[in-house]
Amino acid sequence: MSVLVVLFLTAVLALFSGVYNQGKFARYIGILGLLVALCVSFSPELAFFNQYKSMFDFNENAALFTKISLVVTLLIFFLGGFAFNNHRSHQSELYSLMLFSLIGAVILFSFTNLVTLFLGIEILSIPLYVMAGSNKTDLRSNEASIKYFLMGAFATGFLLFGIALIYGSTGSFDVHVINTFSIANPKDLMFVMGIMLMLVAMAFKVSLAPFHMWSPDVYQGAPSLITSFMASVVKIAAFFAFFKVMNLAFAGSIKEWINILGVLVIITLLLANAMGLAQTNAKRMLAYSSISHAGYLGLIFFGANSLSVYNLAFYLFAYSLSTVGVFMTLIWVEKLKRETSFEAFKGLAKSEPLLAVVTAVSLLSMAGIPLTAGFVAKFNIFAQAMNGAAFLVLIAVIGSALSIAYYLKLIISMFFHTETSFKSSEKVSITYNITAVFIIVAILTIGIYPDLFKILFGL
Amino acid sequence: MLEALLLLPLIGSGLVFAFRNSNSKYLAVGIAFVQMFLTFYMLSQFNNVPTVDSQLQFEIIKPWSSYIKSTLHFGVDGMSMLLLLLTNILVPLIILSSFNENEKYNNNFYALILLMQFGLVGVFTALDGLLFYVFWEVTLIPIWFIAGLWGDEEKRIKVTTKFFVYTFVGSLFMFIGLIYVYNHSASFELTDLYNANLNEVQQVVVFWLIFLAFAVKLPIFPLHNWQPDTYTFSPTQGTMLLSGIMLKMAIYGVLRYLLPIAPTALLGTSGQVVMILSILGVVYGALIAIVHHDIKKIIAFSSLSHVGLMVAGIFASAILTAQGNFTFEGAQGALVQTFAHGINVVGLFYCADILIKQFKTRDIRQMGGYAKAAPKFATLFMILLLGSMGVPLTNGFIGEFILLKSIFDYDKVVVIFAGLTIILAAVYLLRMYGKAMFGTGDERVVSTLKDISNVEFVVLASLAVVVILLGVFPSGVLEMVNSSLKFIYSSIKG
Repeated sequence: MSVLVVLFLTAVLALFSGVYNQGKFARYIGILGLLVALCVSFSPELAFFNQYKSMFDFNENAALFTKISLVVTLLIFFLGGFAFNNHRSHQSELYSLMLFSLIGAVILFSFTNLVTLFLGIEILSIPLYVMAGSNKTDLRSNEASIKYFLMGAFATGFLLFGIALIYGSTGSFDVHVINTFSIANPKDLMFVMGIMLMLVAMAFKVSLAPFHMWSPDVYQGAPSLITSFMASVVKIAAFFAFFKVMNLAFAGSIKEWINILGVLVIITLLLANAMGLAQTNAKRMLAYSSISHAGYLGLIFFGANSLSVYNLAFYLFAYSLSTVGVFMTLIWVEKLKRETSFEAFKGLAKSEPLLAVVTAVSLLSMAGIPLTAGFVAKFNIFAQAMNGAAFLVLIAVIGSALSIAYYLKLIISMFFHTETSFKSSEKVSITYNITAVFIIVAILTIGIYPDLFKILFGL
Repeated sequence: MLEALLLLPLIGSGLVFAFRNSNSKYLAVGIAFVQMFLTFYMLSQFNNVPTVDSQLQFEIIKPWSSYIKSTLHFGVDGMSMLLLLLTNILVPLIILSSFNENEKYNNNFYALILLMQFGLVGVFTALDGLLFYVFWEVTLIPIWFIAGLWGDEEKRIKVTTKFFVYTFVGSLFMFIGLIYVYNHSASFELTDLYNANLNEVQQVVVFWLIFLAFAVKLPIFPLHNWQPDTYTFSPTQGTMLLSGIMLKMAIYGVLRYLLPIAPTALLGTSGQVVMILSILGVVYGALIAIVHHDIKKIIAFSSLSHVGLMVAGIFASAILTAQGNFTFEGAQGALVQTFAHGINVVGLFYCADILIKQFKTRDIRQMGGYAKAAPKFATLFMILLLGSMGVPLTNGFIGEFILLKSIFDYDKVVVIFAGLTIILAAVYLLRMYGKAMFGTGDERVVSTLKDISNVEFVVLASLAVVVILLGVFPSGVLEMVNSSLKFIYSSIKG
C-alpha cells in the first residue's frame, strides 16, 4: 500500500515541477520516486500495509507484480531523456501521467473487490488516452488517442454492465463472496452473462483477438516511448488483473468461460502472427507481436496450478524486458530517420552495434530461442498448458513458427544490410547504453539461470 | 575434463570476439587445436569396455532450476565420444581452411565458429532432454549469422531465412514433443524420459513431433528443400560446419532420444514410413546429383543421398529389434558412416571451393584440366572422392557395407534401391572429377591455374590421412560405439 502513497507523491511532485522549468526535473523526480517505491515494495513491514482489506489486499503476488512493473517503468524513464529531448513542452505532464497510470496498475495488482478492479482499470487507462495523443501536431497521434478512448469507453461499458449483472446475482462486489457464489451456482444465467461481459472487457484491455483492432493503430500513432509503456507495463497490469479476476472470482464457473477463452486464444495466435508477417513497418509489427504475446499468455488459464502466478510473472517480465529492448532502438531510429519501416533499420549494426545487439537479443527472446529469458518463459507456460490443453499448445507452436519470420526481418535489416548509414552527429547517451547493457545481461542471465528471477524479486 | 571441453570454446569465442585484430584467426585456430588435443587426451582416458551398467564417463551433474525438473547433466559414452572426436577434429581444420582469404573474414566470424563448437559439444554430451534442446538451438544462431553475413551476396538473405525458419519450426515441434514426454515423466533426465509411461498412440504422436526436428536437420526427403540452397550459398566454412557436423546432431538425436523414448511407434506404420522416405531420399538425391552442373549442388545432393542411407540403416535395425530380432548393426554402420561422411563431405566441399576459386565458376562444364596444373590437389581430391564412393580401404566402405547388410536383413526389395546409392555415387562423383580435373577447359583459364597452397595442402592431407586410417582400421570406431548402441537398442526391445 505504501507504494501507492510514494507513487502518488512522486506523480504530484513531477507534475508541479513543470511549473518552474521545461520539465527535465520531472524525469529525475520520477526516477527517484520509482527507486523509493521499489525499496518500499521490497520491505515486508512497509509494503504489506493492509488497512482496507475488503478493497485491497497487497499480498506477495501483488508485491511481485508491483516490483516487476516498477523495474520496467524505471527502464522506460531512463529512455525518456532521449525520447523526449526535443519535445518542447509538457514533458513533466507526460512523466506524471505515466506515474498515475502506474498507480492504476498497482491498484489492479491488489484489488479484492470489483469496484477497485474497475477503479484500477480506469486509473490505468485514462492517462493513456491522453498520452497517446500527446503529439498534438501529428494526425496519427490524434487518431490513436480518439480510437483508444472510444474503444476504452466501450470496454468500460462492458465491464460495468458485467459487474452490475454479477452484483445483481451475488449481491456483493467482494471477490471471495462472488467465488463462493460461483462454486455454489456455477450455471446461474445472470452470473454467467456477467462473466462473459467482463471477459469481453478484459479481452479488450489485453487486446485478445477479435477485440484487438484498436491496438496496431494506437501503438503506431502514440509516441514510441508511450507505446513501449503500453506494451509492457499496461500489459502486465491488465493481464494480471484478468488472470486474477477469472481465477479468484469465477473459478467455480470455469467450465462456462474457459472454452470461449480458448477460442479467443486460438484466433489471437493465428491472426496476430499471420498479420505480423504482412507488416512492413517495425512499429506495427511490434504491435501485432504484442497481440500475439497476449495469445501465448492466454495459455496461462489452462491447466492452472500453484505455479501459474510465477509463470505469468516470469513471462511478463521477460516479455517486458524485450519490449523495452526493441523499443529503445525503435525510438533511436525514429528520431534519426523520422520513420520506422524495416528499411530504416538497415545498417544499424555497423553504426550502433550495442543497439543492434540489444534489439537482436530482445527479438530472439520474444521468439523463444534458448538461453534467453523468453525461452524459459515460453517453456513454463507451454509445460503448464500441456496438461489441460495440448491442442492449444500446438496452435501456439504454429503461431511461434509464423512469428519467427517477422522477427528475423528486423534482425536481417540491422545486421545483413549495410547500404544506408546513420548520422554520426547524434551520439547514444550514457543512460541509453546503461539501459541496453542491463537489458542484454538481464535477458541472458535469466535465460541461462532461471532461478535468478526468484532471487531478484525476493520470492 | 568435460568441463574444460565445454567451457574452452565458449570462453575462446568471447576472447576472439574481444580481440578486434586481423590476427584473431591465429587465436581461434589455437583454441580449436587445444580443444582437439583435449579431446584426444579424453579419448586416451576413455574406458572403452565399461562395466555393464555404467557406460557414462566424465559425468557432470549440477542443479539448474528449481521449478523446472531439469539438471545440468553431461556425460560421455562411446557414441558421444565418436561425435566429439568428429567435431573437434573438424573445427580446427575448418578454421584453418579459411586462412587463405585474408580480407574476407574478421574476428566475429571465428568467434561464431567457436560458439558453434560450444553448442555442438553441448548437444553431443547433454543427458537431459531440455539441455539437449537448448544446445540444439544454440548451434542455430551462429551458423545463421555465418551463412547470412558471409554468404553469397545476392541470395544469402532469402536462403538463410528459409534455412532458419525451416529448422526453427522443426525444432519447435521437438520442443513440444519433449514437453509432452516431460509431463508424463518425473523429470527431463534421460532415463526418466525413457521410462515415461506413454501408451501406443501417445508414442506415435511423440515420435512424429520429435522426428520432425531431426528430419528437417538431416534432411529427410520431403523436408530437404532448404538444404541444397543453404549449402550452395553459404560461405564454404559454413557449409562444412552444416554438412560435416551439424547434420550429425540429428543422427545422434535419433539414436539417443527418439528411438528409446518412442519405441512402440516403430512397430506400427511410422517406422516403415521413415524407411520409405529415407530410401526415396537416397535415390532422389543421387539422381538429382547426376543431372546438376553446379559443383556445390552436386555435393549437397550427394550428402542428401548418403544421409538417407544412414537413417534407413538405423531404422532397419530398430524395426527388426522392436519386432523381436535383436540387432544394432545398422546403427553401428550409420555411426561409422557418420564419422566418415563428416570427414569426406568437408573435404569435398573444400575441394569444390578450391576449384571454384581457380575457375571462378561453380559450373563443372566450364572447368577442366586442373590435374595437370595441380598434381598434389588431384591426388588428395581423389582420395576423398574414393572415400565418398565407399571404395574398400577407405573410410566410406565399411559403413556402407554394414548399412546395406542391415537393410538387406530388413527387406530384400528395399536394399536394391538402397544399393543404387553406391552405383549412382560413382557416376556423379567421377563425372564431377573427370570434368574438373581432366576435361578440356578454356586455354586462357588453364594457363592461370596454380597448385594448392600450403594451408590448403595441410587441411586436405589431414583429412585424407583420416580417410585412409579409418578405412584400414575401422574396428576402433565399431568397438567404441558398441556398448552404447547395445544399451539403446536393448531399451527398444524392452
